[in-house]
Amino acid sequence: MPAFKAHAMQPSTLLDEQARQDFVGALRAHLSGRLMPGAYKVYESRVEPAFRARLGRAPIDQDEIRKPMMQDSFYQFWSAMQRRSQELLWESVIDPTERELPELLKRSKRLRAKKVGRSSKGRRRGTLRLNPALEIPRYHRAADIHLQPGGYHTDFTTDDVCAGVIYDKGINLYMGGALGPENNLMGDTLLAYLREKHPERQPKRILDIGCAIGNSTVVWARAFPQARVHGIDVGAPVLRYAHARAVALGVAIDFSQQNAEATDFADGSLDLIVSHIVLHETSKSALPRILGECRRLLAPGGLMLHLEIPRGRTVIEKFMHNWESYNNNETFARYMTGIDLQAEAMKGGFLAADVLVDEFIPKLDVAQMNYTEHFFWKILAAHR
Amino acid sequence: MPKPKKQSTRSAPAVAEAARRRASSPAPALVRLARVAKGKKPQYFSDPAIDKLLWMTLTLMEELSVTRDRLDTVERLLAAKQVLRRAEVEGWQPDAKAAAERVAARGRYVDRMMRAMHAELEEIAGRGMPKSEEEVVAAVES
Repeated sequence: MPAFKAHAMQPSTLLDEQARQDFVGALRAHLSGRLMPGAYKVYESRVEPAFRARLGRAPIDQDEIRKPMMQDSFYQFWSAMQRRSQELLWESVIDPTERELPELLKRSKRLRAKKVGRSSKGRRRGTLRLNPALEIPRYHRAADIHLQPGGYHTDFTTDDVCAGVIYDKGINLYMGGALGPENNLMGDTLLAYLREKHPERQPKRILDIGCAIGNSTVVWARAFPQARVHGIDVGAPVLRYAHARAVALGVAIDFSQQNAEATDFADGSLDLIVSHIVLHETSKSALPRILGECRRLLAPGGLMLHLEIPRGRTVIEKFMHNWESYNNNETFARYMTGIDLQAEAMKGGFLAADVLVDEFIPKLDVAQMNYTEHFFWKILAAHR
Repeated sequence: MPKPKKQSTRSAPAVAEAARRRASSPAPALVRLARVAKGKKPQYFSDPAIDKLLWMTLTLMEELSVTRDRLDTVERLLAAKQVLRRAEVEGWQPDAKAAAERVAARGRYVDRMMRAMHAELEEIAGRGMPKSEEEVVAAVES
């Protein structure tokens, strides 16, 4: 597994802090890799048979098995431990962040001061535009997504970057390093899709929506160095971090604090709009509005690509995927399970013939493929 | 007991001691970050006490793992430098100062272990916590 790339915006770790993160990695690998398959086994061997015995038929949807699964002793214990491992994950990252915060804030300030003009190599530098008046959408305020305390939008201090610092290292730990040294797997995946399905495209104006720390945005900016690349998110602290991180990595991206449901970009001003596992963190009303906004922003012939996680095919697969909904504050994931993404895109104004809901397995390097062996991505693609 | 004289210039061992003290009791952080996520924490077992016990057990597992890592680090360094043998470790008794430092460190350890209880209090007094996860899911689906 490639090591997480240390950059200026990450705190150092003391011996015990590192040991806590290492333990969380070991615990999560065991819970997800060794014990989670057990939850499927108890379903097949005792929950489903008991359901059949009681009702004389197989369960028809995930909601029907929620209660019996929650009463199963193995599932209860696994589920409670999985939840605790997620909390421990954040705690293990929050501790060093809090300890080194004064230094991190200084570094952020120094890096972000470089925002104007050109670097010594003559390259354009990125910018950051914040909007303190922006209303944080309900789907962010209702509960902290993935249990990250404070979510992506809470400022704990002036010019805060904590949410970004914590998110960057947190998602690295969450995926056991499988996202790559710069948490680049999802950007790489969607880029590989574009290269394979639309090799002729050379977008000049790119927008990454729900970009958070810009880990995927950086992938697009590097792939198309001649393009003007924008990243938007509702969270100020993740954007400040994204900006400082992009400067530290030497990549020019224009970040702005905006809600993807209604942005201030001009009609038809973009060639390519991308998002990376963002749609399932929104809401029933926001989703078609976001897709409609994408349509407004795309130039004629422009393309949008949204990377999503498939949510299982069988009743138990769907139920297990939606563990995240009820136990890890992925509150909209459950609704996304049954959604027709083509219909959602059409609500946003796209023509049926211009929309494709695709499945994709990229040819990535061996270490990453090992983690994603039985995994494929879902992609919503549409053009104007 | 006579008070120890204040040193005008600090000896090398005193400087090392100060550094050690800083390392064993870090200065309080200026900004406190949240440790509890907003959202209703699910109850996994029929008795919420079991949830707390499991919470503590996993934290305990973590801290034991951390301690073993540190001990392993120290023992390997000591052996590599041929500083001491295991028998010396077994026979060691703390002096008053070392004992006091251990009391403080243990206090911080217990604080960490008791976060399950504090989390419940924080949830009661918390930042507009929703009553159930269903409520949160329903809110975004509406």
